[in-house]
Amino acid sequence: MPIRAPHSHLFSSINLHVISGKLGHGGRRAVYEALNLVAYIDMMTMLVIFLLMSFSATGEIVFVQKNLVLPDALNWSELDRAPVVSITKDVVTLDGRQVATGDDLNADPATGDSKLTELHENLVTLKNNYKLLHPNEDFLGSVVLQCDKQVEFKALKKVMYTAALAGYANVNFAVQPKVKGAAAAE
Amino acid sequence: MSVSVDTGGKGGKKPLNADLNLVPYIDLLTCMVAFLLITAVWTQLARLEAKQKAVGQASTEEQPTIPTVKITVIINEEGYNLVVDQDQTPIPKVDEKTYDTEALSEQLKKLKEAHPDKNDVIVASEDAIHFERVVQAMDTVISARFTDVSLIDAGGAGI
Repeated sequence: MPIRAPHSHLFSSINLHVISGKLGHGGRRAVYEALNLVAYIDMMTMLVIFLLMSFSATGEIVFVQKNLVLPDALNWSELDRAPVVSITKDVVTLDGRQVATGDDLNADPATGDSKLTELHENLVTLKNNYKLLHPNEDFLGSVVLQCDKQVEFKALKKVMYTAALAGYANVNFAVQPKVKGAAAAE
Repeated sequence: MSVSVDTGGKGGKKPLNADLNLVPYIDLLTCMVAFLLITAVWTQLARLEAKQKAVGQASTEEQPTIPTVKITVIINEEGYNLVVDQDQTPIPKVDEKTYDTEALSEQLKKLKEAHPDKNDVIVASEDAIHFERVVQAMDTVISARFTDVSLIDAGGAGI
């Protein structure tokens, strides 16, 4: 029970009901219960600190699809913003939009062109848009390939060939980083 | 909600109470948590860089006046094949599924010691090789301090 400074008391022999109600609790037990928010503030503080530590101004560059497992790599570098081409056995997407199917990937290059037409057109469009928006900057020709680790090289080389035709010579493979060794950029 | 700090005081003097209002602090925390949850990056990914020459374009790099060795790592069903100019060093698989990356790494480190100025290596893969094997080979090459890795098709390059 907290210690309070002594104050005026109304003797019970004095019949002033209004005053006694105001001075005491009217003879009733208090119904108020203070809500302890200390634990809540502690939780919020810890949450903010944790989220601040994992904050990235770059944002999410690559959204990994559910059925796509990336390979691991020791000598990795930081991911930069670039068009993202996702390759699985069934579909090829560019920035989330489908541009080729598994049949296109498995088609024999001897019987047809190795170029994926829709992917090529979209990449060229992105390149032209970049040059229009950044007239004073050189076009680096970087593209991020997010490829499932079980995809055969036969399919991957078609995408790389298409990207090279569109002017994207710098291919960056998205990988799961392992313990950072000597970075490739060094 | 507030916190009351009662400093007490002598009898007759006005008590000094300082109420610390925590409501704005809770509001700030709530807004920060909401913002940070929306902008949080949950999957940390990285990249492995590989170069390829643009089709139809001549190389813009200056041709070296001193001839240098050409190092190629070929990945096929049998394992690795390390080609230095015309010399081939096959590195067979350890078992049916496991490639001998340690042996490849040792060979590449010896090459790096012999040619410390050489930084570029070509990794050539056959069609049936899975992408994770290609990445594993590229990773091994970079670990041996060959930072300039190019990726080509083993069949198309006539290797």
